[in-house]
Amino acid sequence: MRLTLDVLRQFTDLPADVREARILLDEVGLEVKRIDPSGPGVPVTLELLANRGDHHCLTGLAREVTGRTGGAVKFPEFTPLVVGDAPHPIRVQTPLCAVYSLTLLELPRPARQVVPSAADLAAALDGDDDLSLEDDVDLLEDDADADAAPAPTGSLSEADRARLEACGLRPIHPVVDATNLANLELGQPTHAFDADKIKGPITVRLSRAGERCLPLFQTERVELPEGTLVIADDEKILAVAGVIGCEDSKTDEATTRVLLEAAAFDPVAVRKASRALSIHTDSSARFERGSDFAAVLPGASRVAGLLADAGWSVKGTTGVVSSWSDPGRVVRFDAEACRRFLGIDEDDLELYTRLERYGFELVDHGVRVPTHRLWDIEYPADLYEEIAKSIGYDNTPIGLPAIDMGGLPTHAESVRDVVADVLVGQGFYEVITDGFHGRDLPEQLGFVGDHPLAAHVETANAIDRAYSLLKNEALGAAIEGVAANGRMKHDEVKAFEFTRTFHPDSAAPNGVCTERNVLWAIASGSERARTWAGTARPADASWLKGVVEEISLALKLPLTVGAADASYPIGSALHPGRQASILLSGRTVGALGEVHPGVVAAFKIKRARPVYFEIALDTLVAEPASKPFTEPPRVPPVERDLAFTLANGVEGGTVAALLRASGPTWLGRVAIVDLFAHEEDGRAVRTLTFRLFYDNEEGNRTADEMNQATEALIAVVTDKLGASGVKLRV
Amino acid sequence: MSKPDVEAMLASFRADLAAAADLTALDEVRRAHAGKASPLKGALKGLKALSAEDKPVFAAVVNAAQEAVEAELASAKLTLEAAELERRLLSEWSDLTLPGVATPRGARHPVTQVEARCMEVLRRLGFTLVDGPEVEHPFYNFDALNIPEHHPARDMQDTFWVSGGLLLRSHTTTVQARVLEERAKDLKAGKDVLPIRVASMGRVYRNEAVDATHLAMFHQFEGIWIDKGLTFAHLKGTLAFVARALFGETRRVRFKPKFYPYTEPSVGVDVSCGVCDGAGCEACHGAGWVTILGAGMVHPKVFAQFGYDPDQVSGIAFGLGTTRMAAQTTGITKIRSLYEPDLRTLSSLHRGL
Repeated sequence: MRLTLDVLRQFTDLPADVREARILLDEVGLEVKRIDPSGPGVPVTLELLANRGDHHCLTGLAREVTGRTGGAVKFPEFTPLVVGDAPHPIRVQTPLCAVYSLTLLELPRPARQVVPSAADLAAALDGDDDLSLEDDVDLLEDDADADAAPAPTGSLSEADRARLEACGLRPIHPVVDATNLANLELGQPTHAFDADKIKGPITVRLSRAGERCLPLFQTERVELPEGTLVIADDEKILAVAGVIGCEDSKTDEATTRVLLEAAAFDPVAVRKASRALSIHTDSSARFERGSDFAAVLPGASRVAGLLADAGWSVKGTTGVVSSWSDPGRVVRFDAEACRRFLGIDEDDLELYTRLERYGFELVDHGVRVPTHRLWDIEYPADLYEEIAKSIGYDNTPIGLPAIDMGGLPTHAESVRDVVADVLVGQGFYEVITDGFHGRDLPEQLGFVGDHPLAAHVETANAIDRAYSLLKNEALGAAIEGVAANGRMKHDEVKAFEFTRTFHPDSAAPNGVCTERNVLWAIASGSERARTWAGTARPADASWLKGVVEEISLALKLPLTVGAADASYPIGSALHPGRQASILLSGRTVGALGEVHPGVVAAFKIKRARPVYFEIALDTLVAEPASKPFTEPPRVPPVERDLAFTLANGVEGGTVAALLRASGPTWLGRVAIVDLFAHEEDGRAVRTLTFRLFYDNEEGNRTADEMNQATEALIAVVTDKLGASGVKLRV
Repeated sequence: MSKPDVEAMLASFRADLAAAADLTALDEVRRAHAGKASPLKGALKGLKALSAEDKPVFAAVVNAAQEAVEAELASAKLTLEAAELERRLLSEWSDLTLPGVATPRGARHPVTQVEARCMEVLRRLGFTLVDGPEVEHPFYNFDALNIPEHHPARDMQDTFWVSGGLLLRSHTTTVQARVLEERAKDLKAGKDVLPIRVASMGRVYRNEAVDATHLAMFHQFEGIWIDKGLTFAHLKGTLAFVARALFGETRRVRFKPKFYPYTEPSVGVDVSCGVCDGAGCEACHGAGWVTILGAGMVHPKVFAQFGYDPDQVSGIAFGLGTTRMAAQTTGITKIRSLYEPDLRTLSSLHRGL
């Protein structure tokens, strides 16, 4: 809400010092978002609390201030309107309008007489309402009497206009200005119809299917959702109740007779209409938060008073249709409980005095809630809040409850920390990507058609297409990260994330999807960034496998990298010859590999060859950590090297596993210590050197024994894998 | 036999020694003049042929010469070793103005660093982290938290709806609602569930047009503490502890009225601006204060919703935007960049450009 401190001072006393005034406003819950201490009148913008509709006016703000300071609110002076016969027929056909009032005002203009057409009068009189248009006829006679009076200006005073402008409202038309000013002062929105544009009784009702109207400042008629709360005459919709008037009945320069509407509308009805039309006005803001139903007539009276100063006069009495009476809500107030709750020691009288400042009235066992607070005061705690505000939140006592013992990280938190520590140590940066993506991403990944990842949970109302689908995999965002960095000529990427993916599942407890926590990491470029000391080897799938092994060691979990699992969903987006499964106790929990060149091209990545892994994080958390300690031998093992030449496609791991399985019990370990890629008979082959570590703890193993064991292993490998293209390299 | 010419031997040794330029050459001199085949060793063997009175005289002369040779060799060795070391040190000069070449570490994300810090602080108060779903039933996101349909508070959080009438949680308070519901079952079963001290954190979603300062997804952190006899004073004490632990012991803390549907009274917590220390500057829009936390006493309607008696238990709830806090602590002004995978930003935060 925009206003100036000078304008607010017209309604309550404030500290003279701008900074002190600002602190006071902040402290009573009228948060100052902007202030210009050197601007005219000291302009401020307040952020109002969403539940306090009563703050949306100057007297409301003043009331809040005086609840703290104890001063008095300076209300504008006006003469109450006289309620009697309605100046125009009113029909209220819905309980969503609790109070509806109409007041007729006229601006005498000797040169001009406005006479309702016979058809208008007939139409109105034919209505089944029990009110008549007789007053209108009378008024025409009054007009004639005004001939002798001095020509009225029809406009608000300079001071009133200045006040409007200080609060960010541009003067438009005297009648509109008066309604705006009264709303600004008292928080009762009103609306003025040009009386001469109304055909028949004014009806408050719900809109019918297909009904259209032309809201103010719009150029085309809009269709209203059926059941919208509207004000209508016999021919057209005059206003969307509490939101905005319509062009067809608006006041303009030629207007001399207005029907002033002041009413109390249902907050939800106004809110629905405002949202449906995307029209948000000061009026809708006020009604949506619940208006003061007792303020209808004072609001109309203030408008009439302002317009009277401008030469307009009220004709006849004000008609009111009301189904509302003050419920007189009493909220239990136990002073002792309040003292305990706030930790204060003020006596009962002091507490009641504070409540009275906010307009609460002391009754038996509680306080009676003033009408302007019926929307937000229901519980004793609501009253404690008033007391706390009155004292000042900073002035009530402060203390910590007794604390028995601190807490510990959960296992899930610890797992993440251990994993992150390994990855950070290997040069990875943690990133955070969105929880959703656009529809183009699955296409780039080839996850379409009958692909297991083609189905997504979809957002129903995303205002940005990039948020159409909830992420069901993490690979896309990871590759996009490499692409984004590549566009900045940054190909050295090492990134990881603990993220969550969403998987459509009608059998899930919520009937829609399951959520999975995923750890992923992606790397491109080299193992470590190039330095003056030379280029490191590329960050390829083998390197990434090493990273996974480090994670396995750090977590003390049997996490291994094994043959690719054809059913793993993201496998199709990885290089078919450079991918593997990540297994935990033999169960597939993730995948690792180089991103498929086709996918790399689809993301328009030019240079990088990203490698990626992902692991289902929840499986790591569920598995108990265990790694028994093995004492290192006191005597160094005896080493024997064996070199085998392998046809391309035969995995070194197969040979190593066979060696390990076939050796004697005292074969401790088999390591691959060298790889030599070369040609043999015109075909590409690889020669791998396997180092056998024979335990010789007792020192009694003879060279012959070890030589025999080695010969036996050569025989086994030749026998079992010879046909696959494995032979000893001599 | 003639008497050995020890003088000549020594002269020859000294000439060779003077010519030895390095330790290899010195070894050669040692072999030639002190080795088994050296003239001095030969002279020693030749003593047997001398007469009884000449023998002791010449033995003394040869021994003295041998000792002289050994001493001079040792001395020359020291000299040459020192010279060699000198040469080596000179040749081994390393340009340490060049950058270090250790494998550079990466870094945790600024938001997770903030989360870790928040948990560290809350654990001291006995809080435990609890996780919850991001795709939520509106009951836990709104209704259970005293935000009925068509309440203006729903406007404060433009919601992403997904199929099945579910939504993407717009705040982590959903986890609190779930915890209250779950513990209420134990409470009804007569178990002692108090105190409840849980924290929740993670991604939340708002259906907003994204720009440099507005995000459709960001991170929040929340805590809830339910027990008998918790008061507004305890709320303030807890918040002041958390605020100072997170932002620094020297920061001043102030409390101001706020509105959150699920707390009553609701409180906003400000700390004195870290840039101007309260004097008012551009960073704090002249206020001298920066808002960091939203909090309050758990609303009686929230208690009633899950079957707790608000006359018997009370609660403290608070939350903060970890994304915003990460921006505040790193100095990033465009918070969107925290969620972009631009490693230049992340590495620059960690190790500078």
